[in-house]
Amino acid sequence: MIERHWKRKRLAILMAALCAAIFVFGTRLRAAADDFPIYFPDSRIVVKSEALNRTTYLPIVDIIQNLGLPYTDALALETITIRSGASRLVATRNRALISINDQIVLLQNPILRESNRWLVPIEFLTQGLTRLTGTPFRYRAGAPRIFAGDVRAPELVMNAQDLGPVTRLTIRTGVPVNLDVQHDDQNNRAIVRIDQAPVDPLRERIDQKDRLVNSIVFDDTDGEPKIVLETTDEAGEIRVTPSDGNQLFFVDVLRRAAQITEAAPPANVPAPRIDAPSPERRVRVIVIDPGHGGMDSGTTGPAAAEKDLTLTMARRLRTVLQNQLGATVLLTRDSDIALDNEARSAVANNNQANVFVSLHVGYSANKTDSGASLFIMPDNFGGGAGTGEPPGGMFLPWYLGYRTNRQASSRIAALFQEELTKAVPGWRFPVRKAPLGVLASATMPAIVLEMGNVNNSTNSQTLMDNAFQSRIASALVSAIQRFSEPQTPAAN
Amino acid sequence: MAKRIKAGLIALGIGSAVAFGFFVDVVGRIQSMVNDTETADNPFTPPVEPLYAPTDPPMTVKLFFPPGAGPAGPAAGDVLLTTEDQTIFQSAELANRALQILQKLQEGPASPDMLPALPENTRVEELFISEDGIAIIDFTNTISTNHPGGILNEQATIYSVVNSITYNLPGIQQVKILIGGTEKETLAGHCMLLLPLAMDLSITDVTSPAEPPVQQLLQP
Repeated sequence: MIERHWKRKRLAILMAALCAAIFVFGTRLRAAADDFPIYFPDSRIVVKSEALNRTTYLPIVDIIQNLGLPYTDALALETITIRSGASRLVATRNRALISINDQIVLLQNPILRESNRWLVPIEFLTQGLTRLTGTPFRYRAGAPRIFAGDVRAPELVMNAQDLGPVTRLTIRTGVPVNLDVQHDDQNNRAIVRIDQAPVDPLRERIDQKDRLVNSIVFDDTDGEPKIVLETTDEAGEIRVTPSDGNQLFFVDVLRRAAQITEAAPPANVPAPRIDAPSPERRVRVIVIDPGHGGMDSGTTGPAAAEKDLTLTMARRLRTVLQNQLGATVLLTRDSDIALDNEARSAVANNNQANVFVSLHVGYSANKTDSGASLFIMPDNFGGGAGTGEPPGGMFLPWYLGYRTNRQASSRIAALFQEELTKAVPGWRFPVRKAPLGVLASATMPAIVLEMGNVNNSTNSQTLMDNAFQSRIASALVSAIQRFSEPQTPAAN
Repeated sequence: MAKRIKAGLIALGIGSAVAFGFFVDVVGRIQSMVNDTETADNPFTPPVEPLYAPTDPPMTVKLFFPPGAGPAGPAAGDVLLTTEDQTIFQSAELANRALQILQKLQEGPASPDMLPALPENTRVEELFISEDGIAIIDFTNTISTNHPGGILNEQATIYSVVNSITYNLPGIQQVKILIGGTEKETLAGHCMLLLPLAMDLSITDVTSPAEPPVQQLLQP
């Protein structure tokens, strides 16, 4: 009995000791050292960063030696003093503040000295060294790199899309670049090297995991920018199609040929034309926005709610547009969820859509009313009517994004009007102008199509009819095809 | 011993008196608080000021309403708003004229061929005119919650207010709509309310007030 009691007591003491150890040392969680590049206008260094207390720390001595700044490491005082001209920066161990020319600058995290190395948080560079040297150190939160001084680092935008037999990675750079793809088939890895260094990726990785791709990660820890694709066993050839003067690239991971044959659809069903994009095609990505959703039902009639009608129509449009145009078609929502207008146009902006169509259904107090309308933004919304130029030079407020493609929006609306009027006899599709939230920040040709009157039971049933939806979809396909064709002077 | 008892009784008496006084004071305070609560609304209720004086001359204004249902209804035609002449009074305060116009919009059109522009039970909570000619109008939440939806309806509601104010009151160039005291992105999911809106006559059947009819120009 006594022995059991002692055993329990020992166990309790051990557990308490373990908890104490976790409490004391847990706050000093240390992750493995990672390479962390710092780009200067004419050089770069790669230092070993350490993640301590969930904060990225950098070895400051390595950095200041590279900058050629004199420093004094006072072991007895536990301070490090860095000089730049007449300026002086003093940092003290375990203190979350620094002194620059006797002025105190508070940091979010303390400065550490471990294993005879001074480790500083990122803000030491962005707030401390920036003031000390006059050279700005720029850091994007979460990114494993820093740009110092006047470094020209074009932004890199990556997006990935699962298109069934193809996974398409879209890469957009602000400047012309060249890509080189090295595919290690045996290790299921492809490396897309970019011949421009440095670049500033908006996202470090894309959460893309499908039948062909396991992960897509940007990596420049060695100072050489590249995108690493971890592929699956099903992945085969990788094709790169440049476009837009080598500023836009489509990296297509294809499924192995044998497996495509196995998965080929029956002969009587037209196979989806998801081929590698041809450079001359203007419309590659179309975003369809089913209006409303979730708690926001939109207008409601006796037969259906607007949110359901728009979603049904959007899904059908996606199928038809993908099959007939071979374009990437994305929906802003594919389920009954609520989205605000900004989030809807952001889907189109972030995916570099070439056309954005928002679907809505109208309402009229008179149940006999029917009809439809196409909407574009008014010319003078947001002030500064008509010039088409952003008011502040190169920067455009988000709600004036529509101005970048105002003429193209008018043109595609006119084409939609022509094709829809032909496809649905008896219906009018006037092109109207309204300051619509969903269009204001869309930076591509964008329109809203409002179909019918949900309060009109005949209209509601028509909108749910497959044949009617197919006619609308075909009209949109024709309009987008015509929009893709080179414009003739008469068309202007 | 007797002295001690005497001193104790005196202390007890003084203590009781102090306690009683404190008790009376607390009760009085509580009662006054209750009375304050009961009459709290009265001192702060703003007096209802008339929007115009009896001596103010009448003025005719064009109010914008959606055209009635039927073949010429909003979904069928390109004209989203048509006008009806009504009379208000030329009050000295521009804000009071604007409030009169909004009151008329709330009452709805006199003509049976037109539809009300504002949803049921919509009221104006506040109206303020800035120095740069922007009327900031705060509507009750009902303008949004009672709205039937649809882009055309929403556009008609918004521009019924914007056009009726800016067309008739040249001192006001733009209208900023608030709902329930706060800024809302849209009225009912479509039309943006984040920026002040200027008059838009392209959706109406009237010409700009800056362009008088030709007949008027020809008059001697």
